[in-house]
This record gives sequence, structure tokens and C-alpha cells, in this order.
Amino acid sequence: MKRLLLPLAVTVTVAFAGEQFAMSDADRAMYKEMQENNPAEIYVEEGGEILEEQLGGDEALAKFLGVSEKDLPKEIATFPKYVPKLGNVVGLDQVIQAMQVEQGKERTKLKSGKMFSMLAYVKSLANGEIPNIDLNEPHEKVSYDLGKKTFMTKRGGRGLSCNSCHSKDVVGMVLRTQPLPDLGKVGSGSTWPAYRMTKSSLRTLQRRYQGCMKNALLKVIPIGSKEMIGLEVYVTKLAEDHKQPIAIPGLKR
Amino acid sequence: MRRRMKHIALAALFVSCTTSVMGVDLTKAYEMPDASKLIQKDLLGPPQKYTMPKSCNLNDPAAIARGEFMFHNLNGKKAKKNPPKGLAKFIEVKGKDGKVKKKPKQYGNCVACHNIEGAVGAGNIGPSLMNYKALFIETKVRDPQFVYQKIADPRIDNPETHMTVNLTTGLFNEQEICDYVAYVISDKKKK
Ligand code: HEC
Ligand code: HEC
Repeated sequence: MKRLLLPLAVTVTVAFAGEQFAMSDADRAMYKEMQENNPAEIYVEEGGEILEEQLGGDEALAKFLGVSEKDLPKEIATFPKYVPKLGNVVGLDQVIQAMQVEQGKERTKLKSGKMFSMLAYVKSLANGEIPNIDLNEPHEKVSYDLGKKTFMTKRGGRGLSCNSCHSKDVVGMVLRTQPLPDLGKVGSGSTWPAYRMTKSSLRTLQRRYQGCMKNALLKVIPIGSKEMIGLEVYVTKLAEDHKQPIAIPGLKR
Repeated sequence: MRRRMKHIALAALFVSCTTSVMGVDLTKAYEMPDASKLIQKDLLGPPQKYTMPKSCNLNDPAAIARGEFMFHNLNGKKAKKNPPKGLAKFIEVKGKDGKVKKKPKQYGNCVACHNIEGAVGAGNIGPSLMNYKALFIETKVRDPQFVYQKIADPRIDNPETHMTVNLTTGLFNEQEICDYVAYVISDKKKK
């Protein structure tokens, strides 16, 4: 019995060490501290305030989406989704823009820090919900397929695709001291917007994609494009399949 | 007549009110920039077969040194040491506005995926290339042409590869692929 247990214990510690391979001891201590006190909470709060003051808060958002305030968390967990009056599968940041336009307010740019904060706040309303992408909705299926295709497409200076580094068969392997994450298991679709320690700021999922594109020499595509939304649908579906509850703000290395 | 005018005016007012309050067209209210053209231009071409050029001098110490430098570094901005003769840290490219800009020269960063003699922080996505000469070249398991093709376009040997494509993408030229081959198959024990 003892002889069986020992190798098991070894694998567990190795797997754990591997998980945070790229962190020094000091970084790891900081990570632990930040888990209890996520520096991005302040951005989430700020996003909530802007939404409240400028657009009428949760109530106005629920009304815009045609649901009761009580059902807002469930509704938010279905994003990105097809919103008929917007005519496309859209992200929550684009919904916020449409609300601004409808109310005659100035539109906040998708790639601005202010939008990241508002997006983080709105998504945090669904904390605890499992993402719920509806692939029976035809527009959402098209978006998912486009996302999957974008994920698999090899391009750029090094001829790489997202899948080159995030496919099942390379997960856990090490790329220059960084273990390759399983995007479903780590719940990427549920844990962004997140505080990124290496960037000391709040980043969104699509902004994170841009980081990978830049590093791997893929042409960086703009936030809010159909392909970006498709990638978000695809990766959010992976989080759903792994039953990863929404937890905003996330905390990332 | 005047009554009719009033009616028309009222009707017009009604129409303009409803379009501004209820009928705002929201389908253009948000940003949705196009990415398809960017992606189209960025696509990887089909797998290509290459023959190692005769000009490849695999025993040239200068080529080996360049190959080593490119193998262990990501780009000229990140490289800490100075590159060997024949390599630059920055290249000049003409922007759309016609102005010449300095951009960091890209290197292979092969160490991100491969272990090899002297590697720091090597990854393990690709096989270890330690002791490659003795294990693969001297045993005739591999030859320089195989290594050249692998680095230039690994899809010929393995269509499902996770390795970077280095010549078909145009990121490197033939000479630079020669430099990599020279380094990978060089005898590193003598150093
Ligand atoms: C050359 C390798 C490589 C490529 C290509 C690549 N990634 Fe990554 N990706 C990584 C690594 C390594 C990490 C983990 C980095 C870290 O720990 O900070 C990562 C992290 C991520 C994360 C964050 C995971 C989390 O913690 O939630 C997302 C999301 C992601 N990648 C998506 C993509 C998408 C989408 C693409 C394609 C556009 C892509 N990646 C292409 C290597 C790559
Ligand atoms: C993103 C990961 C990655 C990068 C970066 C990478 N490789 Fe590879 N390499 C691989 C993988 C995976 C293989 C395994 C065989 C295959 O799939 O082609 C491989 C195979 C090889 C082989 C063949 C080994 C053999 O004899 O079977 C050589 C040689 C090689 N790589 C050299 C390089 C060089 C030189 C560079 C940099 C210019 C490089 N690699 C960059 C992943 C990578």
C-alpha cells in the first residue's frame, strides 16, 4: 500500500510545481495575497459606478436586454449571444455601447480601460453561474464555428495557430518556462476580465487573445470583430463544458 | 386647408418622435471592426519542399554562431548579448507612410520548445536536441537535408506538427535556415 501511495504523492507535488512553474517564490506569495484581495476589485467597483451614473445601472441593463433584474445573472451567462435588435452575436461591451448610443451618451471605446471596467462589472453580476452558450441558436452556431476556425487557422510570421499551443496534446507541456494551460480547465471563458500580475492591470479575454497573437507573431486583430467574438464564444463554451463558474475579476500571472 | 396642414405637421412630428425614441437603429450603434482582411493577408501558405542549398557551409564557425544566437533568442529587443557577425538586432522596414522604421529582428526562439546544450529555461513541446550529432547524424538516423526541411517547413515530415514554420513564412531566408542546421548538428562538446 505504502509503495503505491508514494509515487502518487510525487506526481501530485510535481503537477502542482508545474502549474506555477513560471513563478518565483516571491511571486507565488504575492499571488496568494492577491487571491484574497484582488487588486482588480476596485476596477469592478468603478465600472459599476459608471454604469449606474451614466446609464441607469443594473435596472437599465436588464430592461435593455428584456429580462427582469432577477434573471440578469442567468442572462449575462449566455454572452456572447445573438441580440436581435443589435443584429449580431455581440459581447457585453458592445451591449454597453448600444445602451450609450440609445441614451444619447458618448460611446466608450471597446479597447479603453473604462470599458474594461464596465465589462468586468457587468460580467461579475453573473458570478457563480456556469456559462451557457446556446449552439442551437443559428447565429451563435455560426459565430462558434467562425471562432473555432479562427482558433485553428495557422498564420503569422511563425505559421502558428492558437491550437498549436492550446490543443489537447500539448496542454501541460512547457513553452519557455510557461506551462501551456488547458483553456477549458482553467475556465478562461469564466475568469476574464482578470487582474494580470505581469501587466499590473485589468485585462479582458479579447485583450488576452491579442497578447498571445502579438507574442506568437500572428497579426493582432481588433477587439469586437466577428472573429474575436467567435473566439470568445468558442473559449467560453470550453469553460461551460468544464463546468467552470463565472468568477470575476479573475487573477492571472 | 389649414387643418390639413396641421394634421400633416402633427403626423410628421409623430413619425420623427417615434424614430428617435423607439426606433433608433441599434445595429450600427457599436464597434464591430473588420478582421477578415487582416487574417486573409496573414494566412500560412501550403507546405513546401526545400532542398538544402549548396551554399550552405555547415562547418563554418560563423554560421554556427549565428544559428546558436537565433536558437536561444526571441528577437533583437529581448536579446541581452550582442549578436555575432552577420546578424543584426534591428531591421529597417518601410511603413505604409513611406517612412523607414526600425523593428526588432526576429529570431527562432527554438529553445522555447527544445532543450539543447547550454539552454536556459528550455521548453519541452519539441524533442530534446541534446547531443544531436552523435545520436542522430552519426547514426544516420537523420541527415542535414532532413534537418533543413524540418526547420524550413516541418509540415512536409509531419502535417500535424506544432512546430513553427520558418522559411515558407518568409520570416527567415535560406542562409538563416543553413545557420540553424549548422548549429543543431554541430559538435558542441569541444567548446
Ligand atoms: C506560441 C504559443 C501560443 C500561441 C500560438 C497562443 N498561445 Fe495562448 N497562451 C500561451 C501560453 C504560454 C499561455 C500562458 C501564459 C501565462 O502563464 O501567462 C497562454 C495563455 C492563454 C490564455 C489565458 C489562459 C487563462 O489563464 O485563462 C488564453 C485565453 C489564450 N492563451 C488564448 C489564445 C488564443 C485565442 C490564441 C490564438 C489567437 C493563442 N492563445 C495562441 C501560448 C500560446
Ligand atoms: C512551438 C514549438 C516549437 C518551436 C518554436 C520549434 N520547434 Fe522544432 N520541433 C517541435 C516539435 C513538436 C517537433 C517534433 C516533430 C514535429 O512535429 O515536427 C520538432 C522537431 C524539430 C526537429 C527534428 C528533430 C528530429 O530529428 O526529429 C528539429 C531539428 C527542430 N525541431 C529544430 C527547431 C529549430 C532550429 C527551431 C527554431 C528555428 C525550432 N525547432 C522551433 C516544436 C517546436
